[in-house]
Parts: sequence; structure tokens; C-alpha cells
Amino acid sequence: MQGRIIMHIDVNSAFLSWQAVYNLQRGHSVDLRGIPSAVGGNQVTRHGIILARSIPAKKCGVKTGETVWEAKNKCPNLVLVPPNHHLYIKCSRALMEVLNEYSPRVQQYSIDEAFLDYTGMEECLGEPVSLACRLKDRIHKELGFTVNIGISCNKLLAKMASELKKPDRVHTLFPEEIRDKMWPLSVEDLFMVGKKTAKKLQAMGIFTIGDIASADPGLLKYKLKSHGLLIYNYARGIEDSAVFPGYYMPMKGIGNSSTIPFDVEDTRTARLILLSLSETVAMRLRYSRNCCSVIAVSIKYSDFKCCSRQRTLLTPANCTMDIYKTAARLFDEAWDGSPVRHIGLRVTGLDSDNHIQCSVFDHPRHAGNLQLDRTMDNIRSAYGIKSLVRACFINSGICASLGGIGSENWPVMSSTL
Amino acid sequence: MKVLNKPVDMIAVFYSTGKIEPVKFKVGDMPVTVHRILKKYSEKLAGNRRICFVCINDGAKVYELKYEVDTQMWYLFKM
Repeated sequence: MQGRIIMHIDVNSAFLSWQAVYNLQRGHSVDLRGIPSAVGGNQVTRHGIILARSIPAKKCGVKTGETVWEAKNKCPNLVLVPPNHHLYIKCSRALMEVLNEYSPRVQQYSIDEAFLDYTGMEECLGEPVSLACRLKDRIHKELGFTVNIGISCNKLLAKMASELKKPDRVHTLFPEEIRDKMWPLSVEDLFMVGKKTAKKLQAMGIFTIGDIASADPGLLKYKLKSHGLLIYNYARGIEDSAVFPGYYMPMKGIGNSSTIPFDVEDTRTARLILLSLSETVAMRLRYSRNCCSVIAVSIKYSDFKCCSRQRTLLTPANCTMDIYKTAARLFDEAWDGSPVRHIGLRVTGLDSDNHIQCSVFDHPRHAGNLQLDRTMDNIRSAYGIKSLVRACFINSGICASLGGIGSENWPVMSSTL
Repeated sequence: MKVLNKPVDMIAVFYSTGKIEPVKFKVGDMPVTVHRILKKYSEKLAGNRRICFVCINDGAKVYELKYEVDTQMWYLFKM
């Protein structure tokens, strides 16, 4: 994998700058990027967290992920705009269309990030740095938003490079530059080092990425298991995964969760929400041509306490009703009767659905249910997710397929490069 | 010119060649005939494609019309 040129393209404050450009296109006089502003959820439906913020808002101390209320306290004149998922998908697709003109190997890594394998393209398109500058300027001129581009010889270093200084910059981070550009950074800046790992590292006297690189890999492995070796390699810039064209994500599980606009206090409502989540999760599971063998349910109470339960199935399944029934049992076991604000459902232990083992304990109508799922999937994919709704949701005030984001395929972040 | 971005009722010609030409639109109750198109360009800001027409009437009044491809709506953008 020597001699590769990989670029990582990252949109600056993606959700906010996309909304800002969209507003400008519609004749708004104020650029959201130039004032303290943020994209925030709806406080009425309790989805009230900051999803993205402008640079002036960042200077006021507003952080991504904190509640709208906290952000407003820090910055009273903060302008809040609601999220607009369809716009984000449109912007993301427009970005990918541009990138695909520069290389046949472009991997969409998340809604606002992509890797571009530039290896061998120098002959046609010129030096990587000058091409990256042209590409960055083209995206700004054509699509209206700014991006950071990181260039290196692998995906990890390219991603680290694009995070260096924002906005609207091109950075290189080749192995010979690691010592000067990456090693002085704090451990939390390294990909795959989160708050908890950072705390553990700091307790070991490791504060910078350089400290990780010079630490004893045996000690890191002892303290952090295989993750210790992974970050040791990352700190030394060692990573060799290929750029997978398209939107590639090795899937370990599928999950959906939802914060409910009101506190759930009765079993019937909780069951409806679980059924609604099962619909979404099972549909996605079947769409990925997989079945699952582990089902997990998580509950967040109104006092923000959390609990979860999971169970391995006797035989793998991808039938909505099978998943729902297990989820309902798990919920009953976990729920202590307190008001619930958030329910999540996740399936793991995925395997291909080419052959599914039958069981003598299967419901007598199991084959019929599978057929019904297939038919419902076909109708929903042809006429939209709301075209077919279970009767129990009528007049219940609960969405019949919770957790998904529209009917669009939403590229999510992954911890795997 | 002032930015309006106001949706308008429009009569336009969609040629078989793919060319689009605004002909007549209504501002409130007042019909306006497009006299001359000075410039045509397309924009794709935030991935939202719009075809823009800078027009002139009576040799002096310059205004801008935009056709949004996704929503198939016409806007009087600036006047």
C-alpha cells in the first residue's frame, strides 16, 4: 500500500453551513455562519440538543451535543434553526457528485465526509495539493459551502490532516510530518480515542498523541486490550484499509431509537413504541439481506437513568413479529415502571439470510408472517414507508415506524475506516 | 435591485431541445411580459439546482427570475 495518495474531504460545520447556504439561496440577507447560530432539535418534542454550531457560537462556548437550553444560557442571542434532513441528503449527494469527477474510488464515509483515492490520478489532474485547493474552491463556488481536505498516504492520516485547522483549508500529513503536526496534539484528537479512553490514558501519564506513539505497546494492550494496540498503531500513522467505492460500512448491528415527545407510563404505549421500532429495524435488517441472532432493548427513564437487556435467539430471525415479541419480553424484564422518555432497539449477531434455520418452536404462522413482511416491504419501497400502517397505530399518536430518518438512506458515522 | 425570492405564476416555453425560456409572469395581479433575457446561468448552491434568468424590460428595469428544478417553481428573485 506504499505510495498511495488519499484525500479526506470534510464539510465544515456541515448541517449549519448547508442550512446557511440554502437560506442565502432563498434570498435571506444574514449568513448563519457569520453569527452565533446552531442547528438544534425541537424542544417541544424533547429532541432539544445542538447538532451543529457556527464558529461564532463555538467562541461563545456552545458545544455540539449539549441541550438547547444550556446553549441558550451560554449565548442568549443564539439563532436556532431546525434540522432539515432532506436538505442534508441533497447537499451530501451534490458533494459526492463533484468528488466522483476526480477519482473512480470515492468512499462516502458519513453524510459530510468522504475519502478519495487519488493514487495514479496525478498524471491527469496534477499534483495532489494543487488539485485539493482547486477542488475545495470549486465546492465553495459551486455548492456554496467550505470543506477541509486532508492529504496523506492512508485514510487515517488523511482524516487526521483534515481535522487540523478549519475552515476552508488543505492540509497534508505524510508520515514524515507526523512528528511535527500530529504528535503534539492531545490524545483526544486521535481518531478512536474518546473521553473514556482519554481519561484512562491520562491516568497512565499519556497526554499527547506523541506519548501514545512512544508508549510501550505491551502496556497499552494490557490496559486497553486490543483497542490499545489499535490506537498505538494510529498514533504512529499505521493504517492500510482500502478506499471502498460507494457507501461502504461493515455492519455489526442495526438499531433504531427514539426520544418520545411524552413520558411513557403504561405498557400498551411502550409496546406500541417497541412495535414501531421493530418495524423500522426489521425492515432495515431485511433490506440488508441479513438476519440477527441477538436482540437488545435500551430504556432511558425521565430522570435520565438508563438500563438495557439483550437476549440471544434460539434461531436467527428477521421477521418483524419475532423481533417485536423478544423486544417486548426484554422490555418487561427491564422496566421498573418509572416514566420512560427514550426507547431503543438494536439487533446484532448478523448473518446472511440465504438460509434461515427453522425451529419446532416457531410460531405456527411463522411462514405466513415472513411472507407478509416481504409483501409489506415491497409495498413500502414502492409507495413510501407511510403507505402501509398497522391498525394499532391509528389514532394512537405514535409514528408507525419510529427511528428512521425519512425514507432516505442516511449515511452514518462509523468507527471503522 | 431588492431580493424578493417570491414564487410567481409563469408562462414559459420548454423547448424540445431542453432550453427553457420565461415568457410572462404575474406580480400580484399585474402581468409582466419578459422583453429580453440578458443572461442565463444555473446555480447549484446547497445541491439545490436553480436556472437563473437576468431579464430587462423597457431597456432599464432589470430583474432576476429563477426556476427551481426540484420543486418546478418559478421565483421572482430580484427586482
